Amino acid sequence: MDIVRLMDVALDRTAPTVSDEAALVAELKAGSEEAFAYLLAVYQNPLFNLISHMVADYAEASDVLQNVLLKILRGIRQFNERSSLKTWIYRIAVHEASNHRRSWRRRLFHEPFSMDDEALQISAQTAIYRNNGETPYSVYEQAECQAEVKRALASLAEPYRAVVVLREIEGLSYEEIAEVLGVADGTVKSRLRRGRESLKRKLTARLSRSI
Amino acid sequence: MIFESCSEIRSYFSDYIDGACSTEAVQSIRYHLSHCIPCTVELERYQDLQAGLHGLARQQVSPELALRLRVKVSQELHRRVFQRVMVRLENMFRPVLFPSVGGVLVALICIGLMLGAGTPRVSNIPDVPLNLVTPPRIQVLAPMNFDTGNQPLVLVTYVNAQGRVTSYKVISGQHSPMLMQRLDRMMYYSLFQPATSFGQPTSGRLVLSFRRITVRG
Repeated sequence: MDIVRLMDVALDRTAPTVSDEAALVAELKAGSEEAFAYLLAVYQNPLFNLISHMVADYAEASDVLQNVLLKILRGIRQFNERSSLKTWIYRIAVHEASNHRRSWRRRLFHEPFSMDDEALQISAQTAIYRNNGETPYSVYEQAECQAEVKRALASLAEPYRAVVVLREIEGLSYEEIAEVLGVADGTVKSRLRRGRESLKRKLTARLSRSI
Repeated sequence: MIFESCSEIRSYFSDYIDGACSTEAVQSIRYHLSHCIPCTVELERYQDLQAGLHGLARQQVSPELALRLRVKVSQELHRRVFQRVMVRLENMFRPVLFPSVGGVLVALICIGLMLGAGTPRVSNIPDVPLNLVTPPRIQVLAPMNFDTGNQPLVLVTYVNAQGRVTSYKVISGQHSPMLMQRLDRMMYYSLFQPATSFGQPTSGRLVLSFRRITVRG
């Protein structure tokens, strides 16, 4: 199990190079199961990370990720290679997460909401950091800080949140973000600027303490 | 590039921390920051925010979810392959379906006719009975000239190994002296195939039933 986890971590963020990508796309279009297994190994963690910042919780993110992968499978034949495979996949993920979030908002008024979810996340986070030999206070402080940043990020308007997540968390360039969202580079810059300003305002108390 | 105010320079901080500013803008920002403490604090907030976002724990797919995804992908791939094969088969067979079905039907009819013509005729030679024990059978029955009345006449006859009736007994029906005399006569002139046991003729019993049948015409 440890080996599998290590492989997942190693494969995470290791997207295929451009020359490999053409071969991979050809294999995917031919319906090769091995190619799809490779695609899963490379993209499932980044996509899941992206989606989990775009939708409400783990279960929702799992469902969205599954839908994204099925859409990739069904739509790979229509992939015309004008953009990179990575941006095409991210575009599907962002659209799917946005659509899901919209429908989730509609459902939210009809479904019960549990206050325990966030507490559970923090306790899980605490358990992870405890293994690094940190003090309980610093662990809790760090988990609390992350939860606060996540809350602030989740409260951002969708266009800004998508840009901030793609840039700050997924590490995409401005050009790649523009391709994913189908907007101009200037729009990416302005949305990123407004998103950061908004985040900074929401996290003023936290940022002042850290300074 | 010369910035007029702190608010103007702060609008470039987002690009500055990404390294997306021109060299000129970077130099101007650095010059401004060297003597403006509020803007330096503001930039540090941006950098802290960036560090906070980078420090968010990356969500990993759990092994259960990874397995579920693999299964889903595999199912989807095989569903597609099956559909593709079905479409190919349909495309291949549809143009030849009518001629081939017609051909097969004609061939079946022809074969049926040929088999019907070549069927061997049934032999008239009676088969040798293979049973271990067989009952006696009528071989030649003398003509009857008696009336049984409304009720059928049932009698048990005892046939010896030579096929002759040794005795008989009336079970039901009328048995007047005249009828018994005619029955005696009929039995005397009738010939039976004797009963057999393991292929050897032996004595046996036979039940005979006579009924009057009126034919108009």
